[in-house]
Parts: sequence; C-alpha cells; structure tokens
Amino acid sequence: MTKEAILENVNKSFTKILEHSNFELNENTTANDVDGWESITHMMIITEIENTFNIKFKLMDLMNMDNIGDLITTIEKEIK
Amino acid sequence: MEYLEQLLNTFETYNTNNALCINETFYTYNDLKSEVLKICYSIENDIEYSQKNIGLITNNDIYTYAAIIALWLEGKAYVPISPDSPMDRNCEILKNAKTKYILDSTDNNNYVDFFNVINITNLKLTKKDLNSRSSNINDIAYILFTSGSTGIPKGVQITFSNLNSLIKAMHFEKKHKILPNDKCLQMFELTFDYSLVTFLYPLLFGACIYTIPKNQIKYLYVYKLIQKFELTYLVLTSSIITYLRPYFKEINAKKIRYCCFGAAPLDLNLALEWKKCIPNAKLFNSYGPTEFTVTTTYYSFENVKVVKTKNGIVALGKVMNNIDAVIINENNEILGTDKEGELCLSGNQLTIGYWNNDKENKKSFINIKTNGSTKKFYKTGDLCTIDKDKDIMFIGRKDFQVKIRGYRVELGEIEYHIKCFTTNINIAIIDVNDNNGNNEIALVIEKEEHDTTALFNYLQTKVPNYMMPTKTHFLDQLPHNINGKLDRKELKNWIKNTYK
Repeated sequence: MTKEAILENVNKSFTKILEHSNFELNENTTANDVDGWESITHMMIITEIENTFNIKFKLMDLMNMDNIGDLITTIEKEIK
Repeated sequence: MEYLEQLLNTFETYNTNNALCINETFYTYNDLKSEVLKICYSIENDIEYSQKNIGLITNNDIYTYAAIIALWLEGKAYVPISPDSPMDRNCEILKNAKTKYILDSTDNNNYVDFFNVINITNLKLTKKDLNSRSSNINDIAYILFTSGSTGIPKGVQITFSNLNSLIKAMHFEKKHKILPNDKCLQMFELTFDYSLVTFLYPLLFGACIYTIPKNQIKYLYVYKLIQKFELTYLVLTSSIITYLRPYFKEINAKKIRYCCFGAAPLDLNLALEWKKCIPNAKLFNSYGPTEFTVTTTYYSFENVKVVKTKNGIVALGKVMNNIDAVIINENNEILGTDKEGELCLSGNQLTIGYWNNDKENKKSFINIKTNGSTKKFYKTGDLCTIDKDKDIMFIGRKDFQVKIRGYRVELGEIEYHIKCFTTNINIAIIDVNDNNGNNEIALVIEKEEHDTTALFNYLQTKVPNYMMPTKTHFLDQLPHNINGKLDRKELKNWIKNTYK
C-alpha cells in the first residue's frame, strides 16, 4: 500500500471518529492542528485504524508518534 | 508563612537540583529562583499594592510556575485562567474576581483591551534576594473558579493558612513524603486544584516535576515520561490509566515507588490491574473537594487483605490529621456508622467561602455540633458512608455535578448556555459512560434530527473543551417521571442502548 493510500484511509478514520472533516492531514499535522483530536478521540481513532488495516499498535509505537508522518510510518511497518 | 519559608529553604538547599522538566528541557531551582526574582520585581513595581487578585494565564512553562511563587511571596492571590478556555468565560471570571492585572508568558493580545497584561518572559530588572513580604496568613493564595450549576462559575477562595494546613496534614502522614531525588508527574492543568499537590509539594522537598505539553495526547505522554525519565512519584486521575489499560501487558515500570489516584472515583479492577504494571509502588486513593484545599482523605492499598469498595469503587479512606468528617441526613442531623448521607467536612483546610457569592455560601456551609462544640462544615454534595474503621466510602452525587476527565462539571452550566441559544426547545445534558469506562457528556434534543453546527460553535465560545458534549441525540419526547421531572435514569438507559 502506498503512503498516499494509507493517508487516505487514516483520513477516513479521523473523519468518522471526529464527526467532521475540517482538517487537512499531512505528515506534519499534530493533535494541536485538528479540532477534537485529544486523549479520548485519539484512543478511538487508533482502534479504528487498527481495524481498518488489521494491525495492532504497540504502546511503544504510540508513545513515539508525534505527528501524522510518524503514524503512517508505523502503519507501513505493521502491514509489511 | 510556613510553606513559603520551606520553599525558600529548598531554593537554597537544593539550588542545583532540577526543579522542572518542561518539553524535555530541565530547569534547576536556581533557574526557577531567577525567574521568581524578576517577576517579584515586576509585581512590586508594576502592580498597585492594593491589587490582591492577579490573573495568571496557565501556560506550560517556567515563567508560569515562577509567577505563582512570586505572587505568593508578594502576598497576592493567583486567579488561574486556561489559555484553552473560551475568552468570554475567562473574562467573566477575571471581572468577577475584580482582577485588573494579568500575568502572561505569551504575546497573545486577547486581553489587553480589558486588563493590564504583564508579559513575564522578558523582564530585565530583578530583585536581589528572595523573601516573603510578610502578609496576613488569612490573605487569599488562589481563587479557583469551578463549574457553577446556574451557568456562572463559582470562585473558591483558598488562603495561605488553608495551604499551610494542607501541607502540614500531608507532612503528618509520612507515607506521602517526597525525596529530593524523586521524579514527580505533574499532569494537572494549573486551573485544577490537584496541581497544588503535584507541583508545590515536590518543590518543597527539592524534587523535580515533569509537566505535560499542551499539544500532546496526555495519556501517551504520561507513559513517555514514565518510560523515558523513569518517574518515581505519580499522582494521577484514573482516566489516564483507563486509556492505557489495553496496553498494561507492555508496562513494567519498576522505578515508580508511589502512585496515588485522585479527582475521580477509582474502579477496583482497574487499580488492581494497574498495580501489576508498577510492582514496586505503594498505591493510594485520595479524595478532596476544592473547597477543602485539594486533599482530604487517603486510602492505602498497603497491608490490607481485601481492598474496601462500594459498588466496585475503591474507598476514599480516612480523613487526614485535624479534619472532622460527618455524614448528615436532609435535616442536617448526624448519621451513624454505615448510614448513607451527605459528607460534610470541617477543619483548617476549609475555604473561607465562595468569592462574592452569598447565595452559594448560605447553601453550602452549615454549623454542626460535634463532640460538644459547634463547627463550620462544608456540605460536599457527595453521598457517602463512614464505616467502623472511619473509612469513607463514596456512593454518588446528591446533585448533577459530574467528573469529566477529572474535571468538576455542573451539567446545569452546559444546559444554561445551550438554552440561551436554543430557546423554546427542550434539551437535556446527561453524563454517560462510554464503552471504555469513561464519563462523557451527551446532549439530547427534543426535536427531529437537524444540523447543530451553529449551536456547537456558540457553545465552544462559552465552555471549556471538556464541557462540550461529545454525542448528540434527537428524541421526539424527553422522558419524565410522575412528578414531571426529567427522568435522567430512563434517558441514560436509552442512550446506553443506542451506544450498543
């Protein structure tokens, strides 16, 4: 799966959980840039992404994710 | 002022110790002292002496922590204002507190039209020595505004004397003692009174506090701090652990020696599972209303065969030294052992009252005769029992105050603002337990489904983020009981079923 395809799916997960699409995700996007992206929704987004890609994140990976770029890199690593 | 004297001693004794770790940058007690001195100079020269209540924008930086200490040394109270809360609400709070001056560590100009804003980051001139301007211990040390059921936040005034009593009571219980080499988590917003225990208490012992940057996902950053910096002393809300629960198998934090929960009811199973992640830690639960200066009771998991619970919620424990606790019925009569009623607290940690709010003061404080003398008690609104060992058990709330991610929220405050916007439509605000065991706020509108963007945009300008409803439901008719009152239980069940 290409990075673009991963990003598109990530975008869908964000829209579904946050119930809005007033954001544009790119590699540098952080929780600060997106309305409603906080602890509780983060947890739900992560679960949604895990289901979409059929993967399971490790806490260590989640801990080191500072932005969308890190999230995509981790997904790439997991689906390989 | 005892705790301030102790703080000044720490600055001397532990001057080269790290005091703060903010955004992974360390600041020593000397660094902190240097900022305190500059802010003290500014307070003495830029703020009228008669001005007692000073607004403080609670940014996550050394200047903000230094400002609290400086204000105290100058005998002034801080009124914390979250930069993340709506301007309207913040201005209302500051005006209510009769604040003319605000200390801020950003270049944000939002408040300059209404208040004198002092930027505390680029102060050039400084005082030479730290000293405490001898002020009255009955002066106010901070005013925290909490959610108010009528739509207007209530200001809880805590005096220097209240804070001294808290620190003394905590010292008395040796088990909470912090060591100079401890690494302590400070996960609370400075607008939230638990922060007093998590930032002030460690600083009294020369320890280092680790804060959470605003742009981080809190529970993951807490874990990062535990992992990367090997924290030893944790005080946290159970919601953090709820989020980490799916990953407990990956956590083995052997360096944590102390872990205390507070600010929300603690689920026994969650606590016991978490205990396995921190094998060397002593575990505690704690409880205390803002009106009684942060912490009132502790329950220790040590040396107990069976952890005391009520409906799966861990006991609040025993009151600290010099605190009286009684359970009363609706006629304000004291009830006996194991009888359910409202918990009332008396002692030196008791607030002098709500700021400028006679109505609330009359409602919330009463005189009760116990052990032959009459004392002023605070009616907590918490339904509890006290058992034969004097352990307090939490049962529920008497009113519509709920805890959302540790924050105290009056459902009435949210309802008030929504009703201001949507006239002639019946609505209800309900706290619901989501699938992950967290409390969230749901809005139920008695109307066919429609776009609520405008309502939510309005609400966002009135209440902080944690008070925003996360789910909206539409119902043809809200359920009412035979007395014509909204049937919250029925509504909760209905919402619960729609989540399934």
